[in-house]
Amino acid sequence: MSTKEQKERIELLQGTLDLLILRTLLLGPTHGHAIAKAIEFRSDDVLQVEQGSLYPALHRLIKRRWISVEEGTSENNRRAKFYQLTPKGRKQLTLETSKWDKLTWAIARILRSTEER
Amino acid sequence: MWRRKRMLQDLEQEMREHIEMATQDNIDRGISPEEARYAALRKFGNVTRIKEDAREVWTVVWLEQFMQDVRFALRQLGKSPAFTIVAVLTLALGIGANTAIFSLTNALMLRPVPVRNPNTLVELLHHYPGEPAFNGFSWDAYQILRQNHVLSDLIVDSPDTFEIHGQAIEPRTVFGGYVGGTFFESLGLQPAIGRLVGSEADNLGHPVPVGVVSWSFWKNNFSSDPSILGKQIVINDTPVTIIGVAPHGFSGLNEEMSQDVWLPLSMEPVIHDAPLGWGSVGLIGRLKPGVSLEGARAELAVLFQSAIQTPDVGPYVRKMDFEMRSASSGLSSPIRQMLNAPVRVLMAVTSLVLLLACANLAGLFLARGASRRQEMAVRVCLGAGRLQLMRQLLTESFLLSLFGGLLSVLLAYFGGRGLLRMVTSGRDIVGLPIHAEVLARPDWRVLVFTGTITFVTAIAFGVFPAMGLSSQPASAMQQVARVGESRPRRLFGKSLIVAQVALSTVLLSVAALFVGYVSHLRNVDLGFRRDHLLLVNLDLGRSGYDAEQWSRLSQDLLTQLQALPGVRSATFSGMTPMLGAGASSFASVDGHPEVHETISINFVSPHYFDTYGTPLLSGRDFSTSDEHGPLVATINEVIAHDFFGSRNPIGSYITLDHVTGRGNDTPKYQIVGVVADAKYNDLQQQPPRTLYLHAFQEDHFVSQLSLRAAMNPESLTGVLREKVASVLKTVPIARITTMTDQIDAAIVPERLTATLSAWFAALAALLASVGLYGLLAYTVSRRTNEIGVRMAVGATGGNVMRMVLVEALVMVGSGLVIGAPLALWSKLLATKLSPDLVANGSIWVLYGVVALAIVTLVAALIPARRASRVDPLVALRCE
Repeated sequence: MSTKEQKERIELLQGTLDLLILRTLLLGPTHGHAIAKAIEFRSDDVLQVEQGSLYPALHRLIKRRWISVEEGTSENNRRAKFYQLTPKGRKQLTLETSKWDKLTWAIARILRSTEER
Repeated sequence: MWRRKRMLQDLEQEMREHIEMATQDNIDRGISPEEARYAALRKFGNVTRIKEDAREVWTVVWLEQFMQDVRFALRQLGKSPAFTIVAVLTLALGIGANTAIFSLTNALMLRPVPVRNPNTLVELLHHYPGEPAFNGFSWDAYQILRQNHVLSDLIVDSPDTFEIHGQAIEPRTVFGGYVGGTFFESLGLQPAIGRLVGSEADNLGHPVPVGVVSWSFWKNNFSSDPSILGKQIVINDTPVTIIGVAPHGFSGLNEEMSQDVWLPLSMEPVIHDAPLGWGSVGLIGRLKPGVSLEGARAELAVLFQSAIQTPDVGPYVRKMDFEMRSASSGLSSPIRQMLNAPVRVLMAVTSLVLLLACANLAGLFLARGASRRQEMAVRVCLGAGRLQLMRQLLTESFLLSLFGGLLSVLLAYFGGRGLLRMVTSGRDIVGLPIHAEVLARPDWRVLVFTGTITFVTAIAFGVFPAMGLSSQPASAMQQVARVGESRPRRLFGKSLIVAQVALSTVLLSVAALFVGYVSHLRNVDLGFRRDHLLLVNLDLGRSGYDAEQWSRLSQDLLTQLQALPGVRSATFSGMTPMLGAGASSFASVDGHPEVHETISINFVSPHYFDTYGTPLLSGRDFSTSDEHGPLVATINEVIAHDFFGSRNPIGSYITLDHVTGRGNDTPKYQIVGVVADAKYNDLQQQPPRTLYLHAFQEDHFVSQLSLRAAMNPESLTGVLREKVASVLKTVPIARITTMTDQIDAAIVPERLTATLSAWFAALAALLASVGLYGLLAYTVSRRTNEIGVRMAVGATGGNVMRMVLVEALVMVGSGLVIGAPLALWSKLLATKLSPDLVANGSIWVLYGVVALAIVTLVAALIPARRASRVDPLVALRCE
């Protein structure tokens, strides 16, 4: 734990959590804790999610019908809610991803050009 | 909704699981269990805030708040069911009365006809001074009126009734009409199938025997079979080929008369076997853009004058005035003209009732607000803002209004049907059947109207009591502590009662005026005896008798009827009084061509005057022996006076301009008798000049049978039917009624106004007294303490009672003082609206005042008595 704390951590931008959840669920249905873990693990612990805030985000996505929810059993045989991407969510993910790519590309360009000056 | 609920229910469990898993992960990493749990919790974040956030995801904030308000308001209303029921009923009655009358207005005056641009349609009319306007011109006048610069089109639409029969069509009478070449095109109507009547209609030289039928006629008689095209139907003995079906929903421009068959105008002279003279060409104009109704009227009036000054126009027509009206909601009709004034009066009456209901509810709310002051103060102290309190009170009043409004729609629907039953009672008004569904069909206009008044009502009675609530905790608590009412609020409450009393005075007085008028009409001297008369209308349409046979058979029938026990006398006539229409003509007498006036004509058999109880003043009655003798006539006193002055008319001759349809000869009738004046078609007007001709002298098919009974006339119905069936085998009875009913049917508008305004006024008085009772009961209960003190220091029960009664008297008195001049003024207004109202003195206002004073004081007695029985000990203990 101590090693992780030394790394520079980034607060999530508004709205990006939704995108990350969608991306995580692309790998298959899973439960809340696993989603949080996956985001941290896959970002090499750079992205630090306040894990609780995952749940309002999940509710938001359900309300928009981008993900659906099902009862299931977790790895250690406990009842848990499994979240799953809907076709609509899949479409949304593609859209958001390309938007994100454009955004990062554009921002990167601007930042680099100032450096050059 | 359920999704949200389930998600939120499971959230807690899910979060617990999450934290446990995280703890387990930490333990697996070798952290001590206690520390592991702590770290997991820290990483998870604020559980309560997260729950809030998740909840918020599902919430639409204002809706949530609104639902909360509604739920709270419902609970509050449920807590005082008596208040709620009284308020909802008051509202339902107030709004329902308005909705019902508005539906009637809407159906009669506002609903547009289903054609292109109905707003630019105008109807051309003319009328003889003092008579209803009529849309019927001549072909020649039509040609002259066409030369105007204000109408983009002048459409011919002449309604008529047709006797039709044909293959698969049962012989019957239908409404139809003759239309000009531009009728369908200009109204923007497309055929359902086939084609519609076009320009061939205007070529009078080449009448084409074709016809267009309505969609419903096609559906009902031909089951919507397209092979109807090319089929023949026979209209008044003329075969006509069907060329098309009018579009669905179109049944002519007249809402009360559903037309089924349209023929080209060129067929009218063929079917009537007469040229297109005055009365045969109905005209509808379409205003050019930018032309006002007044402007168009002015120009057409000039053209009309030149049209009636041509040499071949009769003297009657020359006295006509031109008139033009908007036809956007259909053509004017007798029923429309007849109900116009009553409907306006009733609209005024019902809006007053609604105003009164609002005042009443405002009073209720005020009292309720005062007793809830503690609750309000507590809410203010707990942090409710002024806006929140207002919103709460308004939600309550809107809910009440909503319930009232919904209930009122039901009331109005059934009430509206009742109205229709009343309007159509007795007979078809002036021969026109009104199809009930046309009038009772509610449409968006009615709903918008009801919705609007419901909304306005809620604001009217909800906002005022909500004002004056204190939003400062300190002053709110002070308000609670004060025992009495603040002075402005008390005055406001009292002035509401005064307003209600004043309004009820107006309504009661006006209602009394109308009721008095109807009873006057029912008792007015008619010049004949209305009691014990049974009227039978025979349908001679398809009897197959010729004039000779009819004359013999009908006299046989009279002889047999007169022999019946219970029948005093029996007679035939062309018309019976108040039937709704009659013949008229211009007449002059020998030797005095300068006197040339209109007269009404009735064809009567011998014993008509006996049967009706109209006194024979001089000369003799008609007799059966006149039948083959010289033409005879009986006149009434007005004719005798106007044509003969002081000379004796018996033996003189009277000549008619045109009437009896026997070619061009103008027959002379020798006057054999003079009878007393009797009303003819209108109860309100003076008896007209009336000429009675012998029913069996010329070939008139008189079809109205009247019996004077020695007993209840209705008990003769059975035996009468038998006799008619045995003597006249081919003649069905169209209708049997009594003279009293026929008169009642003739004064439907007056009865409608009287009955409804009486009901509404009674309702108003009831509301006002409930309001007064409520206010007094409330003040007495608030003042129990004070009254106790007074009694403890020596006031008697009588003193206390007097005190309360004086308070009531002051309110009622001020209401009456304000109401009486208003009542006088509205009576003037009412007489202006229905000019026939006899404004006989202000006695009716007095009735209203007295009735209201009694009712309200009775209402005041109950709380006054209760006040006088206050036990000082109990009263003082309640502090």
